[in-house]
Amino acid sequence: MKLFKRKTKKALIIGIDGVPYSLLNTYLQKDVMPNLKEILSQGLTLHQTNASIPDISSVSWTSFNTGVNPGEHGIFGFTDLRPQSYSLYFPNSKDVKAPTFWEILAKTNERTSTLFQKYQHKMSHPYRSIVLNVPHTYPALPMNGILVSGFVAIDLKKATFPESAYAYLQSIDYLIDVEAEKAKEDKAAFMKSLFECFDIRKKAISHFFGEESWDLFFACITETDRLHHFFFDASNDDKNPYHESFIRFYIELDKFIKYLYEQFLEISSDKGFLMILSDHGFAPVQKEVYINKFLEEKGFLLLKSEGNFYERIENETRAFNLDPCRIYIHSKEAFPGGTVKKEERAALLEELKMSLRGLRGDNGDEVIDQIYEKEEIYHGPHTHLAPDLICLPKEGYDLKGSLEKKQIFGDNIFKGMHTWGDAFCILPETIRFSKKPSVENLTEYILQYYS
Amino acid sequence: MDHLTRLENKSIYIIREAYYQFKDIAMLWSVGKDSTTLLWLCRKAFFGHIPFPIIHIDTSYKFPEMYQFRDARAKEWHLNLLIGRNEEKLKEGMGPGSGSKLDCCNELKTNALKMVIKKYHLKAILLGIRRDEHGIRAKERYFSPRDSQFKWDYENQPAELWDQYQSTVEEEEHFRIHPILHFTEFDIWNYVKREGLPVVPLYFSKNGKRFRSIGCLPCCSPIDSEAQTIDEIVEEIRISKTSERSGRAQDKENIYTMQKLRALGYM
Repeated sequence: MKLFKRKTKKALIIGIDGVPYSLLNTYLQKDVMPNLKEILSQGLTLHQTNASIPDISSVSWTSFNTGVNPGEHGIFGFTDLRPQSYSLYFPNSKDVKAPTFWEILAKTNERTSTLFQKYQHKMSHPYRSIVLNVPHTYPALPMNGILVSGFVAIDLKKATFPESAYAYLQSIDYLIDVEAEKAKEDKAAFMKSLFECFDIRKKAISHFFGEESWDLFFACITETDRLHHFFFDASNDDKNPYHESFIRFYIELDKFIKYLYEQFLEISSDKGFLMILSDHGFAPVQKEVYINKFLEEKGFLLLKSEGNFYERIENETRAFNLDPCRIYIHSKEAFPGGTVKKEERAALLEELKMSLRGLRGDNGDEVIDQIYEKEEIYHGPHTHLAPDLICLPKEGYDLKGSLEKKQIFGDNIFKGMHTWGDAFCILPETIRFSKKPSVENLTEYILQYYS
Repeated sequence: MDHLTRLENKSIYIIREAYYQFKDIAMLWSVGKDSTTLLWLCRKAFFGHIPFPIIHIDTSYKFPEMYQFRDARAKEWHLNLLIGRNEEKLKEGMGPGSGSKLDCCNELKTNALKMVIKKYHLKAILLGIRRDEHGIRAKERYFSPRDSQFKWDYENQPAELWDQYQSTVEEEEHFRIHPILHFTEFDIWNYVKREGLPVVPLYFSKNGKRFRSIGCLPCCSPIDSEAQTIDEIVEEIRISKTSERSGRAQDKENIYTMQKLRALGYM
């Protein structure tokens, strides 16, 4: 028995990567997730939310982690080009230009942001966080608490702060991620490994939840995203051979949410703050669309036959694409071989938009849903690093940045694709939105709770 | 017993145990310092006559010094040397300059090795990897099973308690055995020094540069170093802080990141 009950604030945030609002609703109705249904009847509300643009985990989670848009945090995808070059690199936690909410809560941030400025004087004392398996937090930076990075973490030692946590993770043979490479060879074995990976994730989460002290606990479950990439067609089709496994995964997920919820109620004596959220939705994929091939056919892009990735860009290129649909103008100012002059930019943007709007699938249906210029959706000091045009597709068309495709449309082993408008969050019912929130709008409620 | 002798004993024990369990075994020799150390240990384990073949995966892009060294040692030590090359892809012009380095590595190294394993019906491969080499290798075990698809099923590895290495294998799998897993880079150079082991001259400084790690010519870059002798290398490593593979253009971490992203349909 505890002799002293400290009256501290406790927050639990559960991230569930790639879980769509619509699927959650279906599973709540079909009683696949009775525990979550029960939880939702206890003062919590389920909302549909928008992911970041683009709807990629690294961008969306960074938007949530920092509570600001990509123009301010500087992350636009899993890959990016080094300034004034064609060399591809993988942005990581060190490239995030805004502080995370756990840094703001701990008052340890070295970087600043609009959100930080708003809340820096509102917190009475520093709070300690545990952050587990959140994408785009690799390498683990020193913080007040414990952090184990999620996707794309490579080296577990570098993914763990402090080092003492590494010893524990090693002792349980912790896995950073399932081996998605497996899915290509053996789908059944891959499905099995998803459950095994989820088991080890639960084990680690439960350990830190119960054995360590914290004010805020934030854990992500990422197996759902992998499940959806390879098996989303099984989500609502009971004739699909993987349907039962798919449902079983959600049943397991539902049980784990209940477990954490009940533990949390006990620890927080009913006064805690709970949030459950996803970073983007999912939909069945019909075709992959290789935007660079399209740009090539339309004469915007010229590639050399030699070189790595974007080093192949010829000077005469006017525009090219990075995953998923981040189109860059090959301008004189931004690229060493760039040829597009400042005064030509506006006309080129219009030309590109027109071409993209004309992109049609096999049945003559539109492929591109929305086209944005960077200034329309991003704001902040790093907007100039953003792609010039960003497109969102119609559901079913998965836009890709590959430079090596021979055709515009193609098929792959993937059964699901990310969607922008169908992420979800679960929040205390006292929080209401006048319009559909984006993932970066949710972060502020955590800081509000602590102020 | 001194440190190096203890390391050596452990390696020789593993090599002999491996040979006892698997007659269809071979050793992979990259001609670098680690696998040359392993080769030396294999010679010691069997008193100078290695009873299994030595495989060299030849991407055709290795340094001329490496080919020279390989052929001289093969002759001197009477090695049963098997050369593995992915001829088909080489004919198609596969190379580090034509497309992605990841594909090049995959075809000319991984798939070339797959072909050799299949051709000679090998059940086990001895490899000279070390635990301190790279973060992702920290999970490696001495006996590491791979399935027929070559995937390292690290979720399903046999436990290695004390010295009870599990060394039986199911059909269609092959074992990877890492007898020098417990050596560090520092140990390797000390061992090279103690044994008077020959190494490829690329490791020694020339015009203020030397290679700390060698592979294919287009993908390796030398580090700044004045170390012209093994003693000087030992001293340099003792005080150096950067990881040994930092000089490689195809930085391992980037390669793994790329693999992870590609497996989910990015890039």
